[in-house]
Amino acid sequence: MGRTFDILSRVGDEPAFRQEIRDWLAATVPADWRQRWQAVRESELKAIVVDWLEERRKVGLATPHWPREWGGPGIPFAYQIIVYEEFARADAPELDMYTISLFHTPATLFEHGTEEQKDRYLGGITHGTDIWCQGFSEPGAGSDLAALRTAARREDDHYVINGQKIWSSAAMHADYCLLLARTDPNGKRKHDGISYFIMDMKTPGIDVRPIPQITGESEFAEIFLDDVKIPVGNLIGAEGNGWQIAQSTLSTERGLLIFGAVERLAHSFELDARDARDGWMRDVQFRREYAAFHAELQSLRLMIRKLLIELEANPDKASPTLPTYIKLIWGPFLQRYTEFLLRAEGIDALKWQPSIPGTGHSSRLRMNDFLKSYGWTIAGGSNEIMRNIISERILGLPRG
Amino acid sequence: MSDDIDLGVLAESFAEMLGAEWPREKAVAYARAPGPAAQTLWGEMAALGWTALTVPAEHGGLGLGTAAAAHLHSALGTAAAPVPMLGTTLAAELLVAAGSPAQQAEWLPRLADGSVRAAVAQPTDAVIAAENAVVSATIPDMVDAPSADLLCLRGTRGGCACWLILPREAAGVSVEATALTDTTRTLGTVTLDGVAITDAAILLPDNAAGLADRLLRAAAIAIAADAIGGGEAALAGTIDYMKTREQFGRVIGSFQALKHRVADHQAALVAARGLVEHAAGLAPDDPRALLDALSAKQHVTRTVAEIARDCIQLHGGVGFTAEFFPHIYLKRGKLNEALWGTRTLLLDRIADMLEAA
Repeated sequence: MGRTFDILSRVGDEPAFRQEIRDWLAATVPADWRQRWQAVRESELKAIVVDWLEERRKVGLATPHWPREWGGPGIPFAYQIIVYEEFARADAPELDMYTISLFHTPATLFEHGTEEQKDRYLGGITHGTDIWCQGFSEPGAGSDLAALRTAARREDDHYVINGQKIWSSAAMHADYCLLLARTDPNGKRKHDGISYFIMDMKTPGIDVRPIPQITGESEFAEIFLDDVKIPVGNLIGAEGNGWQIAQSTLSTERGLLIFGAVERLAHSFELDARDARDGWMRDVQFRREYAAFHAELQSLRLMIRKLLIELEANPDKASPTLPTYIKLIWGPFLQRYTEFLLRAEGIDALKWQPSIPGTGHSSRLRMNDFLKSYGWTIAGGSNEIMRNIISERILGLPRG
Repeated sequence: MSDDIDLGVLAESFAEMLGAEWPREKAVAYARAPGPAAQTLWGEMAALGWTALTVPAEHGGLGLGTAAAAHLHSALGTAAAPVPMLGTTLAAELLVAAGSPAQQAEWLPRLADGSVRAAVAQPTDAVIAAENAVVSATIPDMVDAPSADLLCLRGTRGGCACWLILPREAAGVSVEATALTDTTRTLGTVTLDGVAITDAAILLPDNAAGLADRLLRAAAIAIAADAIGGGEAALAGTIDYMKTREQFGRVIGSFQALKHRVADHQAALVAARGLVEHAAGLAPDDPRALLDALSAKQHVTRTVAEIARDCIQLHGGVGFTAEFFPHIYLKRGKLNEALWGTRTLLLDRIADMLEAA
């Protein structure tokens, strides 16, 4: 140790930038972070995640994709990609708990928030103190998000919210929530009359109940809203304009999240063969199955890189279809690959192990990764919805 | 090298000519009654310089690389064109990589102008012991052999791997065609009966294994490209059919169960095309060139064969008839899976490379 790192000053020289991140990661990421995090209790989770974000903040990489104006490094997109690539290659801890905070909240506030809202809320994210969750889905409105029924009734200088939200990631750790609620139940279309709010999770009337999931973890929760008061100043954009804003919220992660996820798997894929050198790699069938996954993984990486290149050139002209194809292919690929590892590793992979909180599908705990892979085919519009989009909007087949 | 040639424009010109000269009705008719039309098509291709694509400029070619060849093979796959372009592509690769100046001067210009069609032995084809001045052997199942004027055969001399570059018209050489279910390609048994082997007919590479890999890569890309073109055509035609065919008072394309299948196929083809184009674009000496080419070949041919199977099913009863087109792509797709290394063979090689990485 002892060396100081100045990653941001290398912007303009890609190889130097990459090397500086590599050196910093090598010096900073503890080799045994997985084991350490694995022993962490749910109640201690936020603290270690905040610590890791703080490490990143010290070198200007807490929010690599943010503009300088709001506390980000303001680096070009190509350099943001390098950051994600190197984090994946170094197998650095993930920040799943911050997905909404780092992507959806800024994307929404940068474009639609008032100056006051930006001033008040963005700093808490860069410093890691504030965790955000998202109150979009409801028991009756999953992939059909516009069917949501949570009601927001205007009373003087505030709205009164009643309803229920579900699948809200990290809601039990959250300080704030991006909430969609219906301000006008009489809209012509179900997309009309939805408004977008910032909700302080300490407000009376909010009851958060974690949902135990198939891995044994509870990464998401239900949120029950009983006469919750939200000040009028916390409305984002115009009343009734929530649907349009939500669409931009959901589309602005710009491929970086899935890029990071796939690069992590690519790294893990290489380790898998190495670890199995004296194991299933000696079995001709497993070996072939493994080899076959290489083409699929490569084709996914190539599609995502193509998307990123298009986005870098001109975000407005990037292919609108590529993200849909990527979403449809990535989840099932991950499910089949993680399922393959279960079969190849046999009973050892099925023994219970404590999970690594805050980690997505690349904990390398086989059963956990396999089970978590379903997140990608269900969340954010299920794959069945993706197939409808492809068949109707791209291939021109009629609606059923 | 002509770096200034726009591959996209080139691909469009391939598609345009084949769309006009080899429309789907023609492909369907040819499948039922193969005939001289294939010869005419070959002549048109040659006249347009397509056979010259990868031949170096000093031998009368265009000097383009694997990426250009991939576009050509993809267009031929789309049209299910019954031309022996695979043999020409591979013969050019073989001669450019390891042919003597005399061999190059003799054969490359004629490959370029299309006057000579070639067949190149697959890695699993019979190896001829060429120790003596006179050789007899039988090489079964050689792809493109029935129409070939030049036969490139695998051999050994002095314990080293070599190639035999034999004119079809040489005394003692005969080729007997074997019927294939895919009538758009041909297969033949080559018999050498006391054929005199001159030194001019022997190609002795410095690095036989390297040459074998280079040919394998070129073949893998050509076949993967052919497959992807065929897969896209089969699916697009099926989707068109789903927009017009009615059952229960609705076009079948409105049924979600069918829509979801073609959505998956479409996504798989988009991903697969990216893989083929990437593999074709890598320089031959890129450390990942062979790995990605073999990955593309095994994956794309498998994916396309599966999609072609489903296209028969999505057509219902007419998909079972010779009058509709899907069977053409299924047959060509299955042949693409089998040519130049079966899937398991390639997967074993891929696993070796992944392990060594």
